[in-house]
Amino acid sequence: MTLMDARPDCVYKIISTGGDGNQKRRLLDMGFTPDCKIYVAHTAPFGGTILVGLRGFMVALREDAASLIKIERAD
Amino acid sequence: MGYTISLTGNPNVGKTSLFNRITHSLEHVGNWHGVTVSEVSKKIMYDHNEINMVDLPGLYSLTVYSPEEGITRDTVLRGDNDLVISVCDVNNLSRNLYLTMQLFELGVPLVLVVNMMDELKKQGKVLNYRKLESGLKVPVIPMSAKYHSDVHLLMDVSLDYVSNYKGNEIKLSYLDKLPIAQVREIIAENLATSRLPEIYACVKLLEKDEFVAERLALTAEQRRKLDLLGDWQSKVAQVRYEFIDEITDGVIVKDVTDEHHEMHEHIVHGVPIEDAEEKTDSLVDKHRRHHDKHKEKNKAYMQSYSRLDKIVLNKYLALPVFLLVMCGIFFFTFGFLGTLLSDLLDLFFMKCVYTPAVNGLTSINAPEWVISLVGEGIIMGVSGVLIFLPQVVLLFFFLALMEDSGYVSRVAFMTDGLFRKIGLSGRSVFTMLMGFGCSATAVLTARGLEDETMRKKTVILTPFMSCTARLPVYTVIASAFFARGKVLVIFGLYVLGAVVSLALSAFFEKSVKKLKSGKLSFIMEVPPYRMPTLERVLQILFNNAKVFLIKVGTLVFALNVVVWLLSNFSLTEGFAPGGDGSILAVISGFIAPIFKPLGFGSWRAVTSLMSGLVAKEVVVSSIESLGGVETLFYGEYASINALAFLVYTLLYVPCVATLSAQLKEVGAKWMLFGLALQLVVAYVFALIVRLIGLAFIVAPGITVSVIIVTIVAVIVTLVIINKVKNRGKCSCGCGGCSAPCNKKKDK
Repeated sequence: MTLMDARPDCVYKIISTGGDGNQKRRLLDMGFTPDCKIYVAHTAPFGGTILVGLRGFMVALREDAASLIKIERAD
Repeated sequence: MGYTISLTGNPNVGKTSLFNRITHSLEHVGNWHGVTVSEVSKKIMYDHNEINMVDLPGLYSLTVYSPEEGITRDTVLRGDNDLVISVCDVNNLSRNLYLTMQLFELGVPLVLVVNMMDELKKQGKVLNYRKLESGLKVPVIPMSAKYHSDVHLLMDVSLDYVSNYKGNEIKLSYLDKLPIAQVREIIAENLATSRLPEIYACVKLLEKDEFVAERLALTAEQRRKLDLLGDWQSKVAQVRYEFIDEITDGVIVKDVTDEHHEMHEHIVHGVPIEDAEEKTDSLVDKHRRHHDKHKEKNKAYMQSYSRLDKIVLNKYLALPVFLLVMCGIFFFTFGFLGTLLSDLLDLFFMKCVYTPAVNGLTSINAPEWVISLVGEGIIMGVSGVLIFLPQVVLLFFFLALMEDSGYVSRVAFMTDGLFRKIGLSGRSVFTMLMGFGCSATAVLTARGLEDETMRKKTVILTPFMSCTARLPVYTVIASAFFARGKVLVIFGLYVLGAVVSLALSAFFEKSVKKLKSGKLSFIMEVPPYRMPTLERVLQILFNNAKVFLIKVGTLVFALNVVVWLLSNFSLTEGFAPGGDGSILAVISGFIAPIFKPLGFGSWRAVTSLMSGLVAKEVVVSSIESLGGVETLFYGEYASINALAFLVYTLLYVPCVATLSAQLKEVGAKWMLFGLALQLVVAYVFALIVRLIGLAFIVAPGITVSVIIVTIVAVIVTLVIINKVKNRGKCSCGCGGCSAPCNKKKDK
C-alpha cells in the first residue's frame, strides 16, 4: 500500500520511494528513505494534500507524491 | 586576518537570526521557507580579524530545486569560503545532518551549530553534544536564540578551528557501500577540467544530479555507462541516513536532572562537562527499557503534531479560523486601534506643526509661496502619509506574527488543494500574503518557487494583493466619503484584490498557453508552532517603522516638493496657487480625459495616480498637497467616483520598486505584460464599479436584483462546467481510470 492508504492513527514504515529522478530524489532528500518510520497527521480540508510526520518533523505532500511512497505497518 | 564564513542549513533553523545576532543587523526573518532569497553578506571585525559573514537561503540538499537554493549551492561550491557554519535544528537533527553530510562529501571546513536548544529543554531532553562531536569530528556548538546564547563562543570556536584546520577528519564510512570508484573511472578526465571535488561529484552523479552532470560536460557515452551502474538514488539517501542514525544514536536523551544541570551550566557559564556514562542494568530492566523506548519513540513521532493543529487544520474549523484571523487583523489595524492612533497623529501634526509653522512664517512676513510650500507642500503632504505609521506598522506586525508563528505554513497546506486547480501551489500563499505588506519584497520571495511558469504567474499577480503603501489612500478617501462604512469598504478592496488575482490565475491556467503550470508536485515542510520572543516582536515593529519613516522622509518628501512646484507655478504667471493653470495641470491634463468615464478625469486625480508610480504612499500626499480629496471628487456622484478611484488605485500599476523586482525575477517581457494587464484590469473594474454604483443610485432595486441574478448565474454555470468536465473522471485525484475507484476509502 502507499502513503495515500495510510490511516491517521498508526505508525508505518517506508518500503520504497518511486517516481522519476527529480521527484524521487526530492522525497529522499527530505527523509523518505526505506525503513523510515512515518505517520499521517492530517488531510487538507479541501483535499489533495496530506500532512505527514517523519524523523521528528512534518511535511505537507500532494497526493501525487504521496502515492509514490510504498509503506507497510510498523508495530 | 580576513575570513569568509557562510551560514548554511535547512530552511527555518535560525540561520538568519544567528546572522543578525553576529552582525547586529536587522535582516528580515520569518518562520516560513523563502525569506532569505539571496546571499546577504556583511563584514564585521572580530578579535582583530575582518570577517565576511554570509547568510544563505536554506536548502535540504546540495541538489537544488529552485533558483534560491541554487544560490546557496553555488556559493558553497565556489570554494572561497574559509568556513561553513552548518546550522541544525535539534528537533530534527537527522534530516538536518543530511545536508551536513553532503558538506562533508564536498570537503569544506565546517563547524556545527545545534540550534533551538530551548525547545529541547521544554521537551525535557538533553543533548550529548560531546558524543556528536566525537562522531562528526568537528566542533559542535549548542545554541538558542531564546537563551541569548553567546555568539562569541561560536566565533571563538570557529576562528580557532579555521586557523588550525588541516582537513576534515570524519570517515564517511557509508561511501564504501557506493560504487564511487567506478563512477570516478568513468568521469576521470571531466573531473580534472571541471575542478569539482571528487567525492561530491561522484555521489551526486549517483543521485542523478543534472547540474553536476552538466558541469562535468558528460558525453552521451559516459551517461550511458553511468546508467549501466543501476539506480543508486535510494541507496545513497539510505546509507547517508543510516550513518546519521548511528552517529545520533543516544545523542538526545530524556532529561536526567544532573545532565540537564550540567548542560545548563556549560551553556550559560562555560563549565566543562564529563562524558556521559553508560549505566549498567539487569537484563530484565534493559529489555523493559528497550520496549518502553520503542513505545516512547512511536509516541514521539506524533509529538510535533500539536493540539493547536487539531483545531487549525480541522476539516470544519480551518476556514472559520482563517477568516477569524484575517478579519481580526483587519479590524484591529483599520478599525479601532489603528484609526485612534492615526487620528491622534493627525491632530498632533495640525496643532503642533502646521499651525505654528504657518503662523510663524506669516508673522515674519514670509512670501506667500514660501508659506504655501512649507504649509501645503511639505507639512500637509508629508504628514498626510506619516499619520498612517501606526496602521502600516500594525499590518506588517501581524503579517510577521503569522509568518513567525508558523501559521502561514498551515494556510499554505490548507489552500494547496484549491490553488493547484488555478495553477498555483500552497507555497504561492506565502508570496501573496507578503504582498499585503510590500509587493516588492513579496515578488523577490517568488524565487523560492520551483516551477518557472508558476513563478511567472505569482510574480505578475502578486501586485494585485494590496500592499500597505496603498493603505493611506484607502483610508483617507474612505473616511471622507464613507464614514461609518469605512472599514467595510477597505476590507472589500482587499478582498477584491485577492479575488482578482486568483481569478486571473485561474483564467491563465485555462486559456493562456504560456502560463499553464500543468502537473507539478508540492513538498513543503511545516514547522512547529513557535512563539516569537519579545525581542523579535520589538525588532519587527522597529524595523518596519524605520523603513516607513525613511521612505517618507526621502521619497515622499522629495516628490511632494516636486508636485507642489509643478502644481503651483504656471509657465505664464509664475506663482499661481490653486493650480488650474499650472505646469502639472497642463501635463496631466493631456491624459486626464481618458479617466472621464471613470469619474475622475481631472488633472489632480491623474497627477496623484502618476505619482503613485514612485511610491504608492505619494498618492495620498499628492492629493493633500493638491488641495485635498474634495478637489478631486465633488458633485452628486462624488462617492461613486471616489469608489471607482479606490478600485483603480487598488488594481493599477505598482511602484517602481516592485516593477524592478519583477524585472529581476521574470524579465522585461513579462514585467511589461503585467504592467499592461494591471492598467487594463484596473480600468475595467473601476468602470464596472462606477456603472454599478451609478445604477444603484438611480435605480437601487433593479441594480441589486440584476447583480444577484448575475452572480447566481455565474456560479451555476461554473458548477455545470465542472460537473461536465469531471464526468467519468476518477474522483480520488489519482487522475487515472474512469471505472469506480477501488482505492482504499476508509479514513
